Amino acid sequence: MLTAAIIIVVVALLIFVFIYNGLIAKKNRVKSVFSSVDVLLKKRYDLLPQLVATVKAYMQHERGVLAEITEMRAKAVSQKLSNDEQVDLDGKVTRMLGGILVAAENYPDLKANQNFLQLQRAMNEIEEQISAARRAYNAAVTDYNNAVEMFPTNLAARLMQYRIKKFFEISPQQREAVDAGKLLQS
Amino acid sequence: MKTLKDFEEFYNTSLAADLEVLEQKRRQLVRKLLIIGAALLCAVIVVIFLVGRSQSDAPVLFLLPIVAAAAVGGLICKVASKNYVAEFKSFVIGKIVRFVDEDLIYEPNSCVRQSTFVLSKIFTTEPNRYKGDDLVHGKVGATRIMFSEVNAERVTGSGRNRHRYTIFRGLFFVGDFNKNFAGQTIVIPDTAELLFGRIGQTLQSLNVFRGQLVKLEDPEFEKDFVVYGSDQIEARYILSTSLMQRMVEFRKKAQRDVYFSFVGSMVFVAISYKRGLFEPRIFRTALDFEPIREHFEDLQLAVGIVDDLNLNTRIWSKE
Repeated sequence: MLTAAIIIVVVALLIFVFIYNGLIAKKNRVKSVFSSVDVLLKKRYDLLPQLVATVKAYMQHERGVLAEITEMRAKAVSQKLSNDEQVDLDGKVTRMLGGILVAAENYPDLKANQNFLQLQRAMNEIEEQISAARRAYNAAVTDYNNAVEMFPTNLAARLMQYRIKKFFEISPQQREAVDAGKLLQS
Repeated sequence: MKTLKDFEEFYNTSLAADLEVLEQKRRQLVRKLLIIGAALLCAVIVVIFLVGRSQSDAPVLFLLPIVAAAAVGGLICKVASKNYVAEFKSFVIGKIVRFVDEDLIYEPNSCVRQSTFVLSKIFTTEPNRYKGDDLVHGKVGATRIMFSEVNAERVTGSGRNRHRYTIFRGLFFVGDFNKNFAGQTIVIPDTAELLFGRIGQTLQSLNVFRGQLVKLEDPEFEKDFVVYGSDQIEARYILSTSLMQRMVEFRKKAQRDVYFSFVGSMVFVAISYKRGLFEPRIFRTALDFEPIREHFEDLQLAVGIVDDLNLNTRIWSKE
């Protein structure tokens, strides 16, 4: 009788250890993917000055947007932003960039410029990589949230006071289709 | 992209004449083979008769001549038909390849190298019997491609314990991918999820030989395929939402097991076939349109991978 009880206790403890470690692993996974997102965002911010410099001479009408992009970049690079602020800023910059690249279609001289073409490819690539990183982050968060909410891991999660995390979402403002016309007038 | 109608026209104008000539040669070949077959049969009968006369009881001595004759017969068949097969491939398949795309080169006796096959990391078992033929290579738009029929097997043990395991049999395609990347991502048909659902996913994540399990958002894609990758973000960079849809569509089009992998900035596609590809039928008429149409469709499927996976869209850093 006693041995049976001991075995049950040991097994229960082992299960708890697996669940505990599992939750920690998932939480850390979310953190590590977010830092990869961070790295890619910084890569994009590094490309922005080049873009603004190349484009400024040609795109006389978009000066306003270009100035804003420069401002946002300065903010991103100099200040220490919280995760949520990062996500917000990323959304804004993506919109602005989209607008610029769309507007570039109207400037045949710009489109023929080798520098610009190379930059465009680099920007496409970094945007695609950021998109991939966002998707990876959301997958890690889904995994983590599943563990925090589903039985039996939610019991351990409650003990460890783990809460569900938010996805990398686009805010309702940013979901509005990028109105190139509006962007160009600002 | 050439349509079936274009091909029918091509068949009527260009191929039909060649096929008539080949048909004559085929009949000669069949006649030769039948004569050899008859001779072998006589030899077997004579041997069996002699064995019977010698009053030996062992049943093996009756079977041995039959087996030997069958083996010898098979060998002679292959050797004798070599010329015919070579002519068929060079005239018919070669022409169809050039019809599908003028810039493609067809080498009937070459195949994708074993090192390339292993490099794709699609199959975890290393083959020790590897052969193939019907190599096609060239550039389609901005994409360099290469594909051939491949038969990769692993033979283990010896004597009575000899076990032959087919790793892959079918069409193996290698192409230049339109994005640069450093690691490996493997996409294989998802049998476990089909059978076991969530538990299947857990089992898949434990498959340590393959690398990390990558869970993607497209439900149709997830139902058909399971993805293993060296890096979560890179896997998603390669497998964009549009590429995932295209891969699902391609599998529907191929209607057979399809394996993909992305290694060294190249894409590998393995399409499993139970039948041999691009081989002429020796014992049936060469003038039938059906088998020729099948060859065309097999070629189209392979060359069409470039368009189906949108490999010619080069808007990123890779040209």
